[in-house]
Amino acid sequence: MNTCIDKIREIASRLLENKEVEKVIGFTNGTIPMATSPIVINSEQDVSKLVFNSSCGLNLANYIRNQKGKIAVIAKGCDSRNIITHIVENQAQRDQIHIIGVPCNGMINKKKIQALFDDDIIEFIEDGDTLKVKSSTKEETLNKTDYLRDNCSLCLHKNPIIYDDLAGDLVDEQTLDNAYPDVDKIEALDSNEKWQHFQELTQSCIRCYACKNACPICYCPTCFVDETSPQWVGKGQEKTDVDTFHFLRAFHCAGRCTDCGACVEACPMDINVRDFTRKLNKDSFEMFGWEAGLDITKRPPLDAYSPDDPNDFIK
Amino acid sequence: MKFITIDKKDWAKGIEKSRETYRLFGPVKEKNGFLIKSLDNDTLPDMEYTDSVMSAKSVMFPQSEKMLNASLDESQEGHHIMNRVDSDYSPQAVLGIRPFDAKAVQLVKLNFDTKDYRDPYWCDAYEATTFIGLGINKPGFYDFSTTAGSGPFEEDGLDVLLADMDDKYLAKILTDKGQAYVDACGFKTGADEKESQILLDVLKKEAENNIASQINTDQLKDKAILDLHDAPFWDDVAFSCINCGTCTYVCPTCWCFDIQDETKRKSTTRFRNWDTCMSSLFTLHTTGHNPRDSKTQRVKQRFMHKLKYFVDKYDQGTMCVGCGRCVKSCPVNIDIREVCNTMNAYEKQE
Amino acid sequence: MGNLLEHMGVERDRVHFSWISSAEATKFVDVVKDITAKVRAIGPNTKLVKDYS
Repeated sequence: MNTCIDKIREIASRLLENKEVEKVIGFTNGTIPMATSPIVINSEQDVSKLVFNSSCGLNLANYIRNQKGKIAVIAKGCDSRNIITHIVENQAQRDQIHIIGVPCNGMINKKKIQALFDDDIIEFIEDGDTLKVKSSTKEETLNKTDYLRDNCSLCLHKNPIIYDDLAGDLVDEQTLDNAYPDVDKIEALDSNEKWQHFQELTQSCIRCYACKNACPICYCPTCFVDETSPQWVGKGQEKTDVDTFHFLRAFHCAGRCTDCGACVEACPMDINVRDFTRKLNKDSFEMFGWEAGLDITKRPPLDAYSPDDPNDFIK
Repeated sequence: MKFITIDKKDWAKGIEKSRETYRLFGPVKEKNGFLIKSLDNDTLPDMEYTDSVMSAKSVMFPQSEKMLNASLDESQEGHHIMNRVDSDYSPQAVLGIRPFDAKAVQLVKLNFDTKDYRDPYWCDAYEATTFIGLGINKPGFYDFSTTAGSGPFEEDGLDVLLADMDDKYLAKILTDKGQAYVDACGFKTGADEKESQILLDVLKKEAENNIASQINTDQLKDKAILDLHDAPFWDDVAFSCINCGTCTYVCPTCWCFDIQDETKRKSTTRFRNWDTCMSSLFTLHTTGHNPRDSKTQRVKQRFMHKLKYFVDKYDQGTMCVGCGRCVKSCPVNIDIREVCNTMNAYEKQE
Repeated sequence: MGNLLEHMGVERDRVHFSWISSAEATKFVDVVKDITAKVRAIGPNTKLVKDYS
């Protein structure tokens, strides 16, 4: 895929040189294979530090709140939707953010690639749609399309929804007969099997909150897990407390989640926390016809009341 | 030092025999990697494991630990008086622990077992534990232990050091506790001391040569604390940090905890849970004041603690043992090696 | 919320929603009776129960 990096650097350079923005938030190369790290640059001399490739799996909309002055941010399709949500929810002003939109063909599933090897990956080279991966015992050449993250393979919004500059040609959006096969799979199980699934899912959760903190829409100054008067959720490892954290966090993101996958990307224990949020995304779509972050003039369904809201479940 | 060899065919039987007197912990393969866990029933430790995502610190310092409980029922005798909970401190053994994790335990001990304070929970668990270490023939990509005060075949903190020699383990028995465990397994095939040490040294050298990553720590002690504290690079280091707890939870030397009471109806329990200095609540005072309310301050504190304050206070090198778990697991790829080298090389600009 | 709990394996009939004004006392009684009967029919809940022992 054309990684758009040259255009990104060009745009960033121009914005900083002309002092149109004070900072540009993007990604830079990591210190280990398949890693990139969010970075902020404030001088055009540093634009060469910016990179953009299929390892840029985090959501930079997470870094745009509470910034002073005007900032530019690199935004993939999903990121741009989160920026719209931020603007709708008054966490950022539209004129304060200069969006460098990047049409995206998907990010790689790093854990899936590492799982092909028994030892650590020591080299990773991305060459168009081919990935060349090496450990000290073997090499693999892979097709990127076979190793996309789950959320990227189901993505319906690869192009940024709003942008001030576009860093590449728009890519074709895909159409899917079923946008929620993973949710359907769980819905088909009976109660006990569903419970088993979720028990196993959160089995190794260490309450590090990487998922919550990587999520751009989890921005409450005091998260419900940190409240003490009253304490809603225990801080220990008791299973019900762990489940409650995940369940309740998903519910706070209901109708606002863009399935950017930053939560799964951040999790050190490889937990697919999207199993919680995807169900709510599907319900939002089916019950309210709503997908987060597509329209800067509309408020999310749990934020607003309309007499047409579905209420057949209320007696 | 006594050496024995353990034929791998006899390993499982010996381990099972030791269950008569020891509870066992060791590496187990989970969905996302290896974890050091309690080995229930007939589970054997996976001695072919590469690196574990979490360290062995939870053997002595569980993530969530009951400390005290009390009855709130005023009709009961002894109500509202907290008593230590009954915990199992019978002998236990951690099998296949990595040398850097064992070294980390020794560093944590400096804090939990001092002449002024002795943490009874940690210390009782530590004293019950026998550490059966497994040398790392092929250090992982993230291992930088040789420049962080440890190494793939270091013995500090171990009771027995095992070296994997394909069809057998060469075992160096370092302490009486180690001997007791070996006896409980029934392993007794002796090996020549001199030859065994030579073999071990060869393996050690080979493993150390395969360590691909280093940090520079020689200047850390001489740097002025305030110079490092006020250095301008912290904003850059901290920018991408999302203040989760991943680095602190996977780290074998991070020891911070939070104490909480949980009460239901008429009984209450006091827990100790892992805490993280990355959390904004970490230094929140009851007055509402928070001396580290900015992300940069918290990120700086973690690295200063590991690489400067500990160095100055204990004069035993850095608090980092080079296991590389934080480097591998950090969601935004903040690399302690880079930060350490930056701190080590920092010169204040006048 | 009912849907997400059901998705996790908590029986749907344990969660009920109703608009009841404080002036609708009879409706309140009816709804409570209905919910009690439905939940009792499922039996004791074992999921999402915190273990305080």
